[in-house]
Amino acid sequence: MTVNVGQLGHAVAAKPTGLWSWLTTVDHKRIGILYGVTAFIFFLIGGIEALLVRMQLFVPGATVLTPDQYNQLFTMHGTTMVFLAIMPLNAAFLNYFVPLMIGARDVAFPRLNAFSYWVFLFGGLLMNLSFVIGGAPDFGWFGYAPLTERQFSPELRADFWAIGLQVLGIASLAASFNFIVTIINMRAPGMTLMRMPPFVWMQFVTQWLLALALPPIAVALILLIFDRHFSTNFYLSEWGGDPILWQHLFWIFGHPEVYILILPAFGMVSDILPTFARKPLFGYTFVVYSGIAIGFLGFIVWAHHMFATGMGPVADSAFAIATMLIAIPTGVKIFNWIGTLWLGQTAYKTPALFAVAFIAMFIIGGLSGVMHASPPADLQQTDSYFIVAHFHYVLFGGAIFGITAGAYYWLPKILGRMLNERLGQIHFWLMLIGFNLTFFPMHFVGLNGMPRRTYTYPAGFGWELMNQLETIGAFIIAISFLFFIYNVLVSMRSGAIAGNNPWGAGTLEWSIPSPPPVYNFATLPVVRSLYPLWDGPNDSRLTTPAASTTPEEAHVHLPNPSYWPLVTAFGVTLAGAGIIFGFVLTGIGILILLAGAYSWALEPAS
Amino acid sequence: MQRPDRMSIYIYEFAWILPSIAIPVAMIVAIAISAFAMGINVQGVTGRIDPARVNETPPFDRPGLRQVGPNRYEAVIVAEIWRWVAATPDDKSRRVELTVPRGSEVTFIVTSRDVIHGLKIENTDVNMMIIPGQISRTTARFDIPGDYLFVCHEYCGTGHHFMYGVLHVE
Repeated sequence: MTVNVGQLGHAVAAKPTGLWSWLTTVDHKRIGILYGVTAFIFFLIGGIEALLVRMQLFVPGATVLTPDQYNQLFTMHGTTMVFLAIMPLNAAFLNYFVPLMIGARDVAFPRLNAFSYWVFLFGGLLMNLSFVIGGAPDFGWFGYAPLTERQFSPELRADFWAIGLQVLGIASLAASFNFIVTIINMRAPGMTLMRMPPFVWMQFVTQWLLALALPPIAVALILLIFDRHFSTNFYLSEWGGDPILWQHLFWIFGHPEVYILILPAFGMVSDILPTFARKPLFGYTFVVYSGIAIGFLGFIVWAHHMFATGMGPVADSAFAIATMLIAIPTGVKIFNWIGTLWLGQTAYKTPALFAVAFIAMFIIGGLSGVMHASPPADLQQTDSYFIVAHFHYVLFGGAIFGITAGAYYWLPKILGRMLNERLGQIHFWLMLIGFNLTFFPMHFVGLNGMPRRTYTYPAGFGWELMNQLETIGAFIIAISFLFFIYNVLVSMRSGAIAGNNPWGAGTLEWSIPSPPPVYNFATLPVVRSLYPLWDGPNDSRLTTPAASTTPEEAHVHLPNPSYWPLVTAFGVTLAGAGIIFGFVLTGIGILILLAGAYSWALEPAS
Repeated sequence: MQRPDRMSIYIYEFAWILPSIAIPVAMIVAIAISAFAMGINVQGVTGRIDPARVNETPPFDRPGLRQVGPNRYEAVIVAEIWRWVAATPDDKSRRVELTVPRGSEVTFIVTSRDVIHGLKIENTDVNMMIIPGQISRTTARFDIPGDYLFVCHEYCGTGHHFMYGVLHVE
C-alpha cells in the first residue's frame, strides 16, 4: 500500500480498527452504526420496562411492582422509547444512508456529527443513571407541571429528566443543522431536489421539524429548572404562574415530535415498496409535498392534546379542524403506497412484509387518531387506554414496523451479508401477532373506561381478560425480537454475501460495494433520474471502480479523526449534570466545553 | 414490466386523492356546525381561584353534595393528592361516595388544591382536567340507575390509582 502522508495526513488506513478509532471517528457510516447499536440497546431497555409494566397489570390488584416502581417504569418507558430509541434509530439510518443516497462522501460537518452522537449517548446515560441514584423520573413522559415542581417532586428525579432531555435536545439540534446543510449543499451532480429518494426528503422535513420544535421544549425545561432551583414561579398558580403554560410549550414541541418519529418511517417505506413491487413509487411528487404539508400542519395542532383543559369552543374547533386536515396528506401517502403495490410484481421478502404491515397498522392508528380529533369524542377517550392503543398503533405499528423494515432492507448494505429470510419471516409473524394481541384489546378496555397510567385496577369491570391478552402479546413481541438479534448475530458471520445490490433497487446507495468503502464513492456519481440504477444500469458514471479499496488509491481526501467532539460533548453533559450534583461540576463542565470547542476550532486541517 | 402510461397514472391519482380531500372537508364542516350552530361543546373553565385558599373560598369551604332544586343537585368537589374531597374537610375517608335519585341533574364544581387532576365519570360526558387555580364546571343528567365509577384520569403521582369514587344513582 502506497501512502502519501504529506497529501493525505492521517487518513491513511482503509479500515481503522480498535476502540480508539471508534471514539475518534468522524465517518458518518460509523456514527450511524454507533447510533443504531446504542439506540437498539435503549430500545431493549425500554422494552423490558414495558414488560414489567405489563406484568404488573396482568391481574387486578397485582403487587409485582410497588406503585413507585411502576410509576418510574411507565415514565421511563415513554421517555426512553421516544428520545432514546425511535429518534436515534431514525438518526442511525439518517447518518448512514442519507449521504450515500445523495451521492456524498460525508456530511457537511463530520465532527459536529460525532458531537451529536456523543451528546446523545451521554444524555441517555445521564437520564438512566437516575435508576441507581435516588430513583428514576416518576411523573410521566409529558411531565405535567406542577407535579414536577420541587414541592411535589422534592427528589432529584425531575432534575435528571429535565437535564437529560435538555442535553438530548442539543444532540438533535446539532444533527438537524448538520443534515439540513448536507442535504442542501452536498448532493451529487444531477441530484436535484426532486430526484432525491423519498427517505431523504422525509428526513429533510424531519430535520426542519427538529430545528423548529426543540426550542419550545428547551424553553419549557429551562423555566422548569428555574422553578426548581431558583425559586421562580412559571408553573405555580398560587404565585401567579400557570400550569397550563407547561402543557402548551410541551405540546408545541410534542406534536411535531410525533411527526419527527414517524416521517422517517414514511420515507423508508416509500423507498422499500418500489424496490419489491418492481415499479416506481406511485405519485412521487405527492409523497414529497404531502410530507412537507405534514411538517407544516404538525405545528398548528398541538392543543388537541389539551381539549380536557377547557379552552372554549373557538380554540377547540380550530384545533379539531387543523387536526383533521392532517388526515389529508397522511391519507395521500397511504394511497400512494397502495398505488405502488397495485399491479406490482411484489416479492414478499422480509422488508416488504414489514413495510406492508406498516401500512395496515398505521391506517388503524391513523383512523383512531381522527376519531379523537373531534373534541366531544375525545372527551370519551382522553387519558383512557384507547389513547394508549392509538399511539402505539402509530409509533409501534408505524415507526417501529417501518424501522424494522428498514433494518432488514439496509442491514445487508451495512453488514455486507444478507439476513436469514426464514428467521426474518418468523420475526415478522411473531411481531405482527404479538403487537396486535397487545394493543388491539386496549381499544376495548379504553372505551370501557380503564384509565391509563394506573398502577393497578379493581376487578369486576370486565378488564381482566383483555389485560391478560395484552401481557401475553407483549411477551410475544419480546420473543420476536430475540429472533431478530439471533438473525443479525448469525448472519454477520455466515450470511450469504450481499453484493452491491441484493434487492435490485434503484437508488444510489446500492451502486457501491457492501459494506461501502470509507470514502463511499470513488468518483462522484452523475444522477439523471429518481432511480438511477434502474434507468441506467450500465452507466459508467454510477459505478465505483472495484479495484480501489483505500482512499488514497481512489484519490479521495477524507476528514481526520478527532477526539474533540467527544471531549466537548462530555463538557456539555457535565455542565448539565452539575445542576443535579452541584454547581462546581457545571463550572468544570463549562471549562471542558470551552477547551474542547476551541481545540476543535483550532485543530489543523491535514 | 411494462409501465402504465402517464395519463392513466394521473387519472388514477386524482381518483384516489379527491375523495381523500372530500372526506376531511365534510368532517370539518361537521365540526363547525356542531360547535357553533348546535352548541355541542366540551366543558370549560368557569372561574379562577387561589389554590392556597381553597378551604376558605366558597363554595369549596363546604365541599359536598347538596340539593338546589327539584331533581337538581350541586356536587362541590376538591381534588387533592390523592383523593376526592366531597365532604367536610375533616372527613378523612379516601373513597368518596355520592348518592342521587334517578333522573337527577348534577352540576359538578371542581377545583384542585395541588397538582393537576382529572375528573372522569364512566358512561357520561363528564371529563374535565382539574387544574390548580381554575374552577371547572359541568352538568350531567343521570337517568339510568347504577353505580358510576369516577376516577382521577390525569396522572397525579404515587397514589394516583387510589383516587376514585362512586356515584350511586338510585
